[in-house]
Parts: sequence; C-alpha cells; structure tokens
Amino acid sequence: MANLELILLVVLLSGVLAYLGGKIHRVIGTIITIFVSGFAFVSIAYFGFNDILDTSNGFLPLITFDVTYLGLYFGIIVTFIFFMVSFFNPYFIDKYKYPAVYSMLYLFSLAGVIGVFFTNNFMTLFFFFELVVWSSLFLIPLGKCKHAASWYYGFSAFGSFALLFAILIMSVNNNGSFEIASSLLAVDGGNRILVFILVMVAAFAKLGAFPLHIWLPKVLTNAPDPVTSVFSGGLEKLGAFMAVVGLIKILPSGFVIDVLDMHLSHYFIALLGALSIVFGTLMAIRQDDAKKLLAYSSMSNGGYILVALAIASDTSFSGALYHVLAHALASTAAFLAIGAVKRQTGTSKMSELGGVIHKMPITYLVYLIAIISMAGIPPMGGFISKWLIFQSVINEGLIIIAIATFFGSIGSFLYVFRPLAALFLGQEIPEIKNIIKEAPLVMQIPLITLSLLNIFTGVYPRDILLFINKVAVELGINPLEVSTWYVKGNNGYLNPALISGIFGVGVFVSYIIFIVLKKSKKVTLMDTYTAGNFVYTEELLHYSVDFYAPLERLYEKYIDIMKNFYNSLANKVKEFGNFVKYFFFTNKPEVTVFWIIVVILYLLWGEIV
Amino acid sequence: MSVVLVISIPLLAAFLSILSKKIAPYLLLAVSLGIIGLLSFDVINLQTVTIGGFAAPYGINLILDGYSYVGIYVVNILFFLISVVTYRKYSKMASILLVALAGLNGLLLTGDLFNLFVFIEISGIAAYLITTTNKQTVATFNYLVLGTVGSSLYLFGLIILYAMFGTLNMSDLSTVIAASGANSMEVALPFLLMFIGLGVEAKLLPFNSWVKGILSSSNTLSGPMIASVYATAIGLMFGRLLTTVFVVSDQLMMIISAVVVFSILAGEAMAYASTKLREILLFSSIAQAAIVVLLFALGFEWFGLVLAIVNGFSKLVLFLVVNRIVDETNTDEIDSLRGIFSLNKLVGVAFTATALSVIGLPLFVGFVVKMNVLTSLMLNDYLVFVIVILISSVVEGVYFIKMIVKLWFDSGEVRVIKFDLVTKYIVLVIAIFIVVFGIYFDPLKELLSTYVDFVIGGIL
Repeated sequence: MANLELILLVVLLSGVLAYLGGKIHRVIGTIITIFVSGFAFVSIAYFGFNDILDTSNGFLPLITFDVTYLGLYFGIIVTFIFFMVSFFNPYFIDKYKYPAVYSMLYLFSLAGVIGVFFTNNFMTLFFFFELVVWSSLFLIPLGKCKHAASWYYGFSAFGSFALLFAILIMSVNNNGSFEIASSLLAVDGGNRILVFILVMVAAFAKLGAFPLHIWLPKVLTNAPDPVTSVFSGGLEKLGAFMAVVGLIKILPSGFVIDVLDMHLSHYFIALLGALSIVFGTLMAIRQDDAKKLLAYSSMSNGGYILVALAIASDTSFSGALYHVLAHALASTAAFLAIGAVKRQTGTSKMSELGGVIHKMPITYLVYLIAIISMAGIPPMGGFISKWLIFQSVINEGLIIIAIATFFGSIGSFLYVFRPLAALFLGQEIPEIKNIIKEAPLVMQIPLITLSLLNIFTGVYPRDILLFINKVAVELGINPLEVSTWYVKGNNGYLNPALISGIFGVGVFVSYIIFIVLKKSKKVTLMDTYTAGNFVYTEELLHYSVDFYAPLERLYEKYIDIMKNFYNSLANKVKEFGNFVKYFFFTNKPEVTVFWIIVVILYLLWGEIV
Repeated sequence: MSVVLVISIPLLAAFLSILSKKIAPYLLLAVSLGIIGLLSFDVINLQTVTIGGFAAPYGINLILDGYSYVGIYVVNILFFLISVVTYRKYSKMASILLVALAGLNGLLLTGDLFNLFVFIEISGIAAYLITTTNKQTVATFNYLVLGTVGSSLYLFGLIILYAMFGTLNMSDLSTVIAASGANSMEVALPFLLMFIGLGVEAKLLPFNSWVKGILSSSNTLSGPMIASVYATAIGLMFGRLLTTVFVVSDQLMMIISAVVVFSILAGEAMAYASTKLREILLFSSIAQAAIVVLLFALGFEWFGLVLAIVNGFSKLVLFLVVNRIVDETNTDEIDSLRGIFSLNKLVGVAFTATALSVIGLPLFVGFVVKMNVLTSLMLNDYLVFVIVILISSVVEGVYFIKMIVKLWFDSGEVRVIKFDLVTKYIVLVIAIFIVVFGIYFDPLKELLSTYVDFVIGGIL
C-alpha cells in the first residue's frame, strides 16, 4: 500500500530539503530531485497498476484523494516525464542563477501535478493547478528570456480563473460542495454550456492550443532545456486532462449537427484543434531554432489531442489518450536530445550546427526515433495514435478537419527532419568539430529509456490500450477491441508488430547495402565551389538556411496576427489605466470635487425620476 | 481597565512628548507597545464605556466588541512595527504619531457618529503632517484639501441624519431609522454623502486623487503608515458603518457597486500601466481597498475583516521593502532596479511571498482568503463581482509577476541595499506567517472567531 497523501507530502517536503541541499552544494539538490521524482513515479505506477493506492488522508486538512483510471493514466505519464527529465538537472544546474530554488520548484511542480490528477475535490484541484502555475513559472526565467514568464502567467491565469469560475458555478449548483463527481452532474442547461466553455478555455490555455498558444513557443524556446522538456512532455498534459473533463465528462447537451451526428460545441473544439494543427505546422516549418521548431510541433500535437477528444468515439478516444503518451515520450526525448546538443555546443540554432552525429551518435539516434514517432511513422508510438485518430476523423466524415490533420502530418515530415538533417547530419561545422563529445552517461539514461519506450509503444501497444480501455469504460465510452497482436480500427485491423517486423527487415537490408557499397567521401564544409566563385560566408551554404523559403513566402505576412492581437489587448489595458490616471489623478483637487458632485447629482437626479 | 485608556494614553503621551524631543521617540515606542500589552493580556475587557456617565444616546460611548478588539489590536501591531523601524530617522514625528495613534484607536472604538467625525479629523490632521515628510508640499496640500472636503461631506450627511432622526449614536440611529419606517430612498442622500466622505479616505476611485501624490513619493514612514495602518483602520471603520448604520437603498447600492467595480478595474489597469514600484503598489492597493469595501457593503463582515487584516500586513511588507530600496537607490523605476533581489535574498523572498499572497496563489494566505471571498460571493449570486474580481486578478497577477521576475532575474547594476535588522525581521516574520497560515489556515480562523462572532459562511 502506498498512501497518496504521503507521496505528496514526501515530494513537497523534499522540495524544501532539495532547497537546503542545494544551498550546501548545487548538485545535491538536483540529485534529490532525481530520487524523489523516481520515488513518486515508481510508487504511483506500481501501486496504481495494482489498484492499491491508498486515498485516506490523515495529515492534510481539506485535501481528499481519489484514484480514477483517468487520473492514474495521466499521473503515471507525467511523473515519469518528471523522473526522466530530472536526470538532466545536475548537468544544467550550474547555468542557473538560483540553483537551490530550481530544485525546490521542480519538486513543487511535481507535487502540484500529482495533486491535480488524484483529487476528488475541485477546490483542491484548483489549489494544485495554481501551485503548478507559480512553481513552474519561476523556472522559466532561469533561462535566457525574462518576459516569457509573464506571458505564461497571463495565459495560465486566464485559463485557471476561467476554470475557477466554472468550479464556482458548479459548486453553487451543488449546494456549495466541491466534490468533482457530484459537481459535474449538478449543472445542466445553459450553465452546463457555460461550464463547458470555461473548462475548455482552461484546457486550451494549458495545452497551448490556438487561440491561446502565444505563450507556448516563447516558454519552450526560452526556458532552460530540462524545464522545456517538462513543459512539453508533462505540464502541457494538464491541458489534455482538462480537455477530457470538458469534452467527455461535462458534454453539454447543446445543438447537435445532424449531418455529422456531432455536438456543435464539439465540432467547434475540433475545428480549433484543427487550426492549432495547421498553425503549429506552418510556424514550425519556418523556425531556425530547433527548440522553437519543436515548440510549435507541440502546439500542433496538442491540436491532434483536441480533435480526437472532440470526436469522442471509441477509436478517437483511445487515439487521443495514446497520443498523450506517445507525444509525451517523443517530445520529451526530442527536447532532451536537443538540450544535450545545446549543452555540448552552446546553441540550438540549426544554421550554426552540423554534423553533430559524428560526435554524438546516441543523441542522434534518440532524436531520430523521437521524430519518427512525432511524424507518425511506424514502428513508433506516434503511428498507432495517429492511425487511430485518422481513422476516426474519416469515419465521422469530418472533411475539413481531416484535411487539417493530414496537412499536419505531412507538414511534420517537412519540419521534424530538418533539425535531423541540418543539425545532426551534414558536414561538421569547423567551430564545433573539436570541442564536442557525446552526452555524459547519466544523461543518456533518460534518452535511451525514452527511445526504447518510443519503440515499445509502437510495436506492442496492447497493454497500454487495455489500460486506456479501462479509462474509456470509466468515462462511459466503448472500449477498443484489442487482442494480443491486433488493434481493431473503424475499417480494418492493425498489426503493429508485423509492421515493425517489416520495417526492421527494411532497415536490415539497407544496412547491408550501406556496408557493401562504397564508403562516402568526407569533405569539409568549405570543400566546394559555386560556379567558379569563392565562398566567403559559409553560413549561406548551410542547406538549412531558407530551406522552405518559397512555402514560407506564402504566409509570412500573417504570422504575427495573434501576437499583435494580444499585444494590443495589453496596450488597451494600459491605455485604460492611463486614461483613468489622466482624468482622476490630477494635481488639482477641484477635479475630484467635480466627480464628487457628479456622483451626488446622479443620486438626486435619480430621486426626481 | 477602561478602554478609554487606549485613546487617552497616547493623547497624554503626545502632550508629554512635546516637553522633551529626546524622550519623544521612546515614549512613542513605549506607548504603542504598552497598548498591545494591555490588549494581549486581557487587561481590558470587552465592554461599552459611556463617557462622563451620560447614558448612551445622549453621551458618547466607546464600544469594545470582538470586531473593534481585533481591529485595534491589528492596527496597533502594525503601528508599532512601523514605529520600531522609523523611530530614529523620523524622531521629530513622534508626537504627531502619538496623536495619530489616539485618533486611529478612536476611529475604531467610537460608537457615536459625531465623535467619529472628530477622530477622522484628528487622525486626518496627523496624516497630513506625516505626509509632510515626503517633502512634496503640493501633494500634501492636495491631501489636506481633499481630506477636508471628505470630512465636510461626512459632516453634512451627519447633520441631515441628525435633523431627521435626532440621534447620533450608531446603534440608536439604526433602531430609530428602522422604527420610523423611513423609506430607504429618503435616507439615501445623507448616507451617500457619508459614503463619499469616507471614500476619500478609503481610497475609492473617483474621490481619491490624493493617493498618487502621497504614496508615489512616500518614504519608510509615510508609505507603510498611510497604505497599511491608515488603510486598515479606515477600512474597518467603514465596515462598521456599512454593516451597522447604513441603510442601503437600491440606488445607493448601485452607486456603491459602480464606484467599487470602477475602483477595482481601474486600479489594476493603472497599476498595469505604471512602471514605478511605488506607483504599482499604490494603484493595486486602491483595488484591494475597494474589494474590502465591497465585502462590507454586501454584508460579508467576516471576510471584509480578514481581507483588511491580511492586506494591512501585506502592504506593510511591500511598502517597507520598496521604500527602503528607494531610500538607498533614489529611484523606484523597475528597470533601474533590475536584479536587485539577487543580492538581497532574504528580503526578496519575503517580498515575493507577500506579493504572491496578494495575487492569491496557493500556499499563501491570500489564496485561502480569496477563495473564500469568491465562494461566498458566488453562493449569494453576486456573479458580476466575481467576474470583476477574476478579471482584475489576471491583470494584477501579470504586473506583479513581471515586477518580481525583473527584480529577481534580470541583470542590471545591482547593489546591496542595507536593510536594518529590524526591517529584515519584521518582513521575514510576516512573510513566514503568510506562508504558515496559507498552508494551515485553521489557527488564524479560530483566533479571529473567538473574538468575532459573526456568522461564518463559505469554506473557511
């Protein structure tokens, strides 16, 4: 038996301990983060799988727990991501301004995440939701850009206050009780639609989906590398969790589109999800910074999850939850791989790198496997989830959304392979040739583990899909038909192991061809000529520069629209503030007297009428 | 012992302190500490005292019930803390501070409307003099003018009420009004006049233009004194009037709501538009003061009280730290103070914890209070106010986070600020309490509930 409350307390108190340890030596704090997040993951996963997580509470007043399969599924994934990323902490800690605080806040965020997934009380859920916000908030400015933090807070706060408002509405209808199960049942009619909208706002804000996506690339690009991985693989998934609550649990009984047999609200969400996919893809294609590229790909993957959840059929629901897992594993692996490269070379800009594979072959492999999964190619986990999602989109006859999802998938071929080619392959850039070496052994542990899991989820999805079926049954959705080797979709069976086998044979054959054929000749970057000219600026020769220029030209005028919208919104608030200052805060008392008279006159005038 | 001592001792000490400039600051410390002692060791019992033996409606009475007990206790603690920090630097102000203390205690204790006017004037005059330490004469003059306008309006409303009902005793007045069967519309005007008069002091928006001049150039004495001690005392006094005396007609309620909502939204927007530390704090305190008034006006005495107290302590920390920084660096432009906390970590942590509590983030006491306030507003169907508070909270959070991130993480020309030991202790201890009560609210709730037996709603 493991008591959830004890796990939570251990994590929280270890946060303080990690701070004190970090004060003695910065690495001690980070080692505590490894052990504690490992402890949290192992105990939740082991006892959770065996259904013996204890939910009694003896120490914390007001905080009550409940284990649902949904919470368990998310909890295991996110604690695992925290655990994996924590291996990177010791190697990045010396770059931070406040190393001890980093370790503390890292564990506080973990505690918050556990709390969100395992509570049965909305007020507690909100408490932990906000705890995650502020503890992760101060991790961001440890990186290079300071204002990313306030963008993040702005959107998060908007999302969480929407959630709070929804919670309050539900609690009023539930006689002041905050219990989740009964609160969800308590609202109906117009209130239910309102609650649905508010919860979805929270989900969008957390997931970084269009139109609340501005913070995501800013944060993921500028936060320290381990923090980026935690955000992309872990904290973003809070949004997916809220989307499940909104789309599946609340499910307002609004207008139904007869042709599609779908709620208008859900179609709308699916449409926004599709927009997230398209925008994320288009923006990812333009990026030079590999981290920013992956950030936008996170946004578009969030869109897939939303689309799939909005359809809410058996295949799409399984696809959505499987995508949560697959994307968490893949994006964490990819971000960590880029982080490892960045640590060894000092940059993540593609145009400044090249040929890293020669010195960091393992990191290269990890990244390769991760992006295969992200692009949805077998034999990785991302393929299974995308297969399920595509099937359900087509099966429901959602043509526009189907176009968007396919566009996103093809687009992801365009962008995820660019860092691979530009950063890892190609000629070695002279500046980094002699200074870099493979990432340290401890950093390879999470990289290799994540890669193996990426492959495992693609080859043998049965157990995970069966677990997702438990979640589906709990939420009243038909379970997916899964046998040992087969997954049943809407129009056929999938045998992932067979596909992987064929894929493996293909790899083997090409390896033999690679061995048998003549070795390629290695040349330096400058060993070239263009039409008889000497080359002075070698950066321009780098083939990742302006790679998709013709495509980018099509939409480059429109990329800042949303950002400008939020900036001008912020300016409007400022203008309002300055307006009030100008009219009321003068140095002339007579102006104030004037306003007083106006107020009195209003009352007197009202009495006459 | 009689509760009159709480007013008369400081007043007596004020006159004595004129005799010797040297002893004055120590007399100030002794008196304010002494009053806290009197209150803590139950020397003064909860009681109603009639001055001069005249029975209540005819004479003036002082009421020490649970509410005013908590009120003067908190105000005196805040007052003492500020005096400890500043008594050396502003030793000349000692006599005036003693008068201010007498006035503030009187504000909270009196049960008579005219007597209240007298105490408003006493504490007001003391406040004008305290703000002269800012060396911004025009601002102080504006404050003086507006304060006088405010108290005149209050007096005007009072006279109308006296003419209508013939009594000035608070409890007597409310029973007389109820008994006379007067239409709430008929008494709307005098109450509006009183509301505006007090609103000037309570920093409600269209009436408070003095605040910017005073607090944006405040120092370690005037900043915390006005923003923390005066704000708490006036907020609580306002609360007593709103809950026990005021008869609020629909139209008056409409005006009050509009004023409060405007104050909240505009306060946060103005803070968002500001780039100076003190300006941000002063505008955000306008919004918070408005929320306190709102709670009292809607009849949530308990939450109004708790919020006023928590605000009082938070503002003390924020203004103490900021004004100390300004003293050393001669600037409160955030951009020129970037990274200042990286060398002043302890104070920085206290400041950050307090600011996060003001925003209402979990693990800090502000979260508990805010959740309770919102829940009870919601349960009573005040949807609009919930939305207003939530929207303003987003803005509030953004500028506070911006400020904190800049003060901690940016690298600018950083210098060590010499915080004296006392300031450090005070801000740290208050910050620790903010965290402790944020995690475990029950003790504070019990502590307050033993003295205040208002009906408790919500999940507190």
